[in-house]
Amino acid sequence: MKRVYYIGFVFVFSLSLFSCKKDWLQRQPKNILTDEQVWNDPKQLTGLIANYYNRLPTDMGLDGNWRNMADYDDAMWSGESNNEGRNNIPNYPGNRWEYWDYGFIRDINLSIEKINELGTSLTAAQKKPFLAELRFMRAWIYFELVRRMGGVPIVTSQLIYDYSGDASSLRKPRAKESEVYDFVASELDAIKDDLTNGVTINGGVITAVSVTRANKFIAMALKSRAMLYAGSIAKYNSLRAVPITTPGGEVGIPANMANTYYQKALDAAKEVINSPWYQLKSGVGPVAGATAYYEATTKKSANKEFVFIKDYLTAKDKRHTFTYDNIVRGVREDNLSSSQVTPSVSLVEAFEYTDGSPGTLRTRNAGNTDYIYYDKPEDIFAGKDYRLNGSIIYPNSVFKGSTIEIQAGVKVWNATTSTYTNVEGAIGTVYTDGKTLVGSSGPHRSNQDVTNTGFALRKFIEEGSLTSTRGVRSDNPWIWIRLSEVLLNAAEAAFELGQIPDALNYVNRVRERAGFGPNSLNAGTLTLARLQNERRVELCFEDHRVWDLKRWRIADQVWNGQANNPIAMVGALYMYRVVRPGDPARDGKYVFDKLDKAPRIISPRWFQERNYYTFIPQSVLDNNPLIVRNPFQ
Amino acid sequence: MKHCLLKREFESRIRDHSIQLRFLFITVLSIFCTAVFAQIPVAGKVTSGDSVLTNVTVQVKGTGVATQTNSAGEYSINAAGTGTLVFSSVGFNTLEVKINNQSSINVQLQSNNVQLTDVVVVGYSTQKKATVTGAVSSISSKDLVTTPSGTTSGALVGKVQGITTRSPDSRPGRGVNIQIRNMGNPLFVIDGVPYTGGSTGVTGFGFNQGSGQDVFNTLGLEDIESITILKDASASIYGLRAANGVVLVTTKKGKKGEQPKIQASGYWGFQNFTRYPKPPSAYTHQLATVEAAQNAGQDPSSVLTKAELEKWRLGTDSGYQSYDYFKLVTRPNVPQKYISASATGGTNRSTYYVSLSHLDQDAILKDFSYQRTNVQINLNTQLANRLQLGTQVSLRRERNFNIGVPGLDDYFNPFLSIFSMWPTEAPYANNNPKYINNTHNVNVNPATYTKDITGWIEELWHTMDFKMNLQYDFPFGLQAKATINYNYQNEDFDGMEYTYPAYIYNKSTGNYEDRAVGSTIPYGNQNPWREKHKRNVISRYAQFTLNYSKQLGDHNIAAVAGYERSDYENSYFVVHTIPSNNYIPLMSFSEQDILQDQWAIEARAGYIGRLNYNYKQKYLLELLGRYDGSYLYEPDHRWGFFSGASAGWRISEEKWFNKVRLINDLKLRVSYGETGSEAGINAFDYLPGYTYPNGSSVLDGVYVIGAGPRGIPVTNLSWVLNRTMNVGVDIALMNNKITGQFDVFERRRTGVPFGKYDVLLPSEVGYGLPNENLNKDATRGIEGIVNYNNKFGAVDFTASVNASYARNWSIYEYKQRFGNSYNEYRTSNQKRLAGVTGTGNNNAFGYTVIGRFTSQEQIDKYPVNIDGQGNRTMLPGDFIYKDYNGDNIINDLDRTAIGYQRGQNPFLSFGSTVTAGYKGISLTVVFAGGALQSFENGVESKILFQNNGTSPHYFFEDRWHRADPYDPNSEWIPGKYPAIRRGNTHINYQLSDFWLTNITYVRVRNIELGYQIPKNIIARFGMSALRIYANATNLFTIDNMKKFELDPEITSSGGLVYPQQKLITFGFNVSF
Repeated sequence: MKRVYYIGFVFVFSLSLFSCKKDWLQRQPKNILTDEQVWNDPKQLTGLIANYYNRLPTDMGLDGNWRNMADYDDAMWSGESNNEGRNNIPNYPGNRWEYWDYGFIRDINLSIEKINELGTSLTAAQKKPFLAELRFMRAWIYFELVRRMGGVPIVTSQLIYDYSGDASSLRKPRAKESEVYDFVASELDAIKDDLTNGVTINGGVITAVSVTRANKFIAMALKSRAMLYAGSIAKYNSLRAVPITTPGGEVGIPANMANTYYQKALDAAKEVINSPWYQLKSGVGPVAGATAYYEATTKKSANKEFVFIKDYLTAKDKRHTFTYDNIVRGVREDNLSSSQVTPSVSLVEAFEYTDGSPGTLRTRNAGNTDYIYYDKPEDIFAGKDYRLNGSIIYPNSVFKGSTIEIQAGVKVWNATTSTYTNVEGAIGTVYTDGKTLVGSSGPHRSNQDVTNTGFALRKFIEEGSLTSTRGVRSDNPWIWIRLSEVLLNAAEAAFELGQIPDALNYVNRVRERAGFGPNSLNAGTLTLARLQNERRVELCFEDHRVWDLKRWRIADQVWNGQANNPIAMVGALYMYRVVRPGDPARDGKYVFDKLDKAPRIISPRWFQERNYYTFIPQSVLDNNPLIVRNPFQ
Repeated sequence: MKHCLLKREFESRIRDHSIQLRFLFITVLSIFCTAVFAQIPVAGKVTSGDSVLTNVTVQVKGTGVATQTNSAGEYSINAAGTGTLVFSSVGFNTLEVKINNQSSINVQLQSNNVQLTDVVVVGYSTQKKATVTGAVSSISSKDLVTTPSGTTSGALVGKVQGITTRSPDSRPGRGVNIQIRNMGNPLFVIDGVPYTGGSTGVTGFGFNQGSGQDVFNTLGLEDIESITILKDASASIYGLRAANGVVLVTTKKGKKGEQPKIQASGYWGFQNFTRYPKPPSAYTHQLATVEAAQNAGQDPSSVLTKAELEKWRLGTDSGYQSYDYFKLVTRPNVPQKYISASATGGTNRSTYYVSLSHLDQDAILKDFSYQRTNVQINLNTQLANRLQLGTQVSLRRERNFNIGVPGLDDYFNPFLSIFSMWPTEAPYANNNPKYINNTHNVNVNPATYTKDITGWIEELWHTMDFKMNLQYDFPFGLQAKATINYNYQNEDFDGMEYTYPAYIYNKSTGNYEDRAVGSTIPYGNQNPWREKHKRNVISRYAQFTLNYSKQLGDHNIAAVAGYERSDYENSYFVVHTIPSNNYIPLMSFSEQDILQDQWAIEARAGYIGRLNYNYKQKYLLELLGRYDGSYLYEPDHRWGFFSGASAGWRISEEKWFNKVRLINDLKLRVSYGETGSEAGINAFDYLPGYTYPNGSSVLDGVYVIGAGPRGIPVTNLSWVLNRTMNVGVDIALMNNKITGQFDVFERRRTGVPFGKYDVLLPSEVGYGLPNENLNKDATRGIEGIVNYNNKFGAVDFTASVNASYARNWSIYEYKQRFGNSYNEYRTSNQKRLAGVTGTGNNNAFGYTVIGRFTSQEQIDKYPVNIDGQGNRTMLPGDFIYKDYNGDNIINDLDRTAIGYQRGQNPFLSFGSTVTAGYKGISLTVVFAGGALQSFENGVESKILFQNNGTSPHYFFEDRWHRADPYDPNSEWIPGKYPAIRRGNTHINYQLSDFWLTNITYVRVRNIELGYQIPKNIIARFGMSALRIYANATNLFTIDNMKKFELDPEITSSGGLVYPQQKLITFGFNVSF
């Protein structure tokens, strides 16, 4: 009898082990929302939108590809040695700027379809602004695609494969380059008034606009940029000896379309400029003027210059290390990174003097027989465009309340040979005379994380306490669109359309804030080159330069791979203190050596014709025989 | 809402569980109180020839009642007067004697000399070694403990055939990478319970994550009775997770009727690195910077004047000393200690094994340490005549203490220091130890590496493993057994990094300056850090099995049937603050800036069946099968059936074979088995929907958590099917003096996940096709072990040699497409050995160095454009690469396969153990080695001045250089390494056979010299045995990595990892 108990006991014991769950293998995830949960709840929809805003592409940005800032002519890489290759780009590969993110487009198309189909408990009025926002982002992506790849297939609904083994019905050919620009424009026009998530409306009147969610002004700003690109490609590609085109128009826009595009660009820009929401930030005098420009690009509060930004928030762990990585060495608070992207001397010289003279730095006397001896390091920059000081740190700049010490070494006079001998050394060291040998912020020829060019970034570098530490980091925004860009878009479009007074009005507004007097450019002096330079300095490090040079079709001349081209070859400016006892006119003064080639730079920048249109990825060609290759591919 | 539901479900699960446990305990207690049968006592003595036999198992047949003979060969046992006693002992024929109501039974056992009565633990039961038909290796306790390893895997190295090992990082507490036949991570089964779960990797901080491998590695080494490795179809019974083989661990148990035995053992030893590259002297470093400038076409005087360099050479002036940062970071002769004590024994109803052990290992880095304490309690009780209750509890406490160095893994920065610091700079300003020198990179100044300056990190693991089983033996040979296992692992990570000041000594003023002139920001570290992590890992396992065995005349039948299921939940929680001071470690919400919550789950279930048959133990047959399910797959693809069969023929049992005198035993084995493996899929891939959180944006000043579309659900994917084939032979020769085991095997995988890309799905669709089970590959190899044992007079001698060779071979890759034939050569896996081709990280395609330039004239005239820039960057000493395609330019098309897999276990592993004993003195030598694996130099061990630091001394000493670094026209002096250049962009530093070493090594894993103190001396102290020994681990290595001063087993290309230790220990084992 007992045996039955025992067996029963084993049985009960076993049963108890297996009784606690019905389907043991069917587990519930903790991190997945269902269709039903997403499409009927504006809160979850906003979550989806948040995911998409976070995915908008850029060649630079503050949290992803910012190191690319060191790949062109405005800066070089002075940071850790793993990125040394940025100083030795013999040429840009064919797949540079590759982008084919149809996964993102699919996600958006899917959202547009599902919100209509599954958002059963939302009213049409609730859906409309979300649909408009989704289409805005899709237009943004198509603009990114076309400026990199040329014409691409326009896909506006989900392409669903039925697993039949044959997906050829899903193939779409590349649209013409112009068609993609047209699509971007028509989409933005179609939705601009529905973008109400980004505006506050009170009694039918807009009372505030968002700078982080799309609204009609952001849409029009994007349109002005896209149309300007289309117009300049139409014009300048056709002016080339051999225009870059494909027979099907996937690449290249006919010259006769240029003016239409310029007009659209101007009209769209005007919608933004003439709205009451945006205003340039300015200050009186060089210091306040520079500070105003710095704040207009780096500060969130009381800033009406932002049109569209990608925002960050330290308190919620949404932040970036841009300040930590790029703050000038002498005031870094952490002990590892700093001064990684460092501006080039050619960028510094692109900033004109406010008296209208060219920005070339005056380092040698008129006869080029001797240096110019400056009493104070900053004197050589005196009278420069305020924006130089607002964007770039140079010897004796004041940043975070400190005077930044940038000095390469001393020049010791040798009376017997009548030459100077350079003495350099470790950063932050003192010469035998007890005064500075090498500044605490460099520059240095071979060390990393200290500038190699003699300059450091100020733009995008946050000033707040501990923002340059790995622990705290910073949350200043990345600028997608700023009012000055829209003004310069308008100026360029008006210039190309021959509407010179309009063009002068727009460009001089931008220049006045930079310290130039009223009407600093006039009908006689306004040229495309001046506008091009204006964009270079006003929008430096905001991800415009490479795209601008491409659309003007001058990238292959500006970055021509020639070692003697001071723009293609990133140069440096090394300042020395003169040690020449017995010569009070010179001893203790400061002189500048302009180095055509910064010490760690190896190759000049070389943009080849093939780089105007990034090669279509091989896998894309393999998967869809209707896709034609780009020129030179 | 969702959250609420989950929470409720979670709570109810906990509640269910606790109710079950409560019920269990009450039942168990009541059973303890039940009356038991009355039986008669039987006693006697067991002998063989003239000698008494100790530790002979005496069992009442058909029951679990058993005892062992004591040191006098005597036993006593309670049994029914009608029963039968079974006497068994290793090396002797088993004898059965009917009791017939006798109270005294003395027996003589016949030696069988061959150790074929050895019992081997196999899946879900044990088998006699003689009747095993699978490819099985086993290793016993005494062979394991020869290596005083901190981890179980470390103790296995070189000792059995069929496993390959590599130790990429040997910091205290870190195990060895073990693979069975190079098939991947094996399944670890401890006392019948499979442990998997989660990642076998480590966190960014270098700590374990609570996987089955971690449980295995942290067992108390002395607690292990045996380890068995199942390599072929014999593993199939473990189904889906057994595709890479199974490691079975059995812990020690007491024996019934055994006298209490108390044992203690311990050792003390000291560790040193086997190898680590050394930095250069200050002069060598400075000379290198001068040469680098000259070689780059710069004026070397602008870097350092000739006069300055001379001062560095002399090193006599103040400020021109050389600092050796290897010595400043590491310390020699670091202690490692181990102590363990156990008590084991049994009454005639119960057995016990209880142990406590403690390992204490300091790291070579100052203040870094590791401790582990293990408790093992194994109890077994005969509740009633046929009912047994087993309980096992393992407890573990593990503590890692690190210095809180900024950055993630605290072990990394100190190693980085050795090459990031310049030998020209001092750790302390003006050499005054009160002031940390603000060196060019103070982040790696080793002067800060103390607990008081930079902070601390303490990581604690507390784990509890509880097993309970209940077994009922039916009188007709059927055994029913239920097992439950609950494993709880808790990790508490606690770390704080301080801010600290640093100084620069101003010679002219004599001041120690803590910040730059005009700056408000002090030198040193202004980045405080405080973080806590908590990880809870809960693995649950339950199993019910029926075991049947019956002998019908010459026919032996055994069968197993069962059901089991398990789940695993790993939750991880991180809280981070920015503390406002260095003093208060308590965290405060106002300073918090990060919170992370992570969670992972696994769940599996399976039905088990096995049938064994043998005729006269001569013809052996085994059939097994498993129906297995995993949570990973969509419900329709969740379950799979896997089966296996093996057969054996003991030729030596045939009558005609008796004529073959030389061979004592010969068995042929053949097996075929299927297993599944989970590959190419992640949890919940079969579900559509939106991942949350995924990305985020700040919209109008408000942080919005993002939700991201998940993409196409994976619903067409199922198991990878593995078919293992194995042919083996077991042999014993010359009166069993030589035994051997040899196997040839192949594991063929079909259905390896891959996307169907022949369906030309336009990229514009926006998604790729999900993986399906398409590809095929195979791991093929051969392995063997030969043991020799003999007596030469009073000298006992044994030797054992083993080797394993296994490589993965891709049989079929789904409809490949290649742009051109070179592309096919480079990326195709079809019919190729893994690790040679393909697009994976392991492929070793590089240039072939056919010579070195010896002069500028040769460079100028050389027809092949090596650097793509007309050879203008080339200098004497630079590599001349072979121009394979003859187009006079070296580019990607000139790369060919130049090596084996990098970072993986070697294709060929071998080991050997030799022992000799003479009158209580014993000598054991263990060798271990490997070949057919590659190491690629990278970062610090290739790129000069990496990270703006310095480089291993040999690069700067044995290099091509000009006689006078200041004179560009002086003659070139040859060296082993190319002329010095900064950065990694020169063509010299591309992957070539110069920078890829195909490693072969043999290391003396252990030498142990022991002495058994004679009984007459120790008896006075109440001891029954005392042995003392000295042991050396990794004493020396013969290999081809010496040139880089790197340990041959590391995989990190820069070499900045913790190499193996050269460990000398002195220890004892004592029994009472």
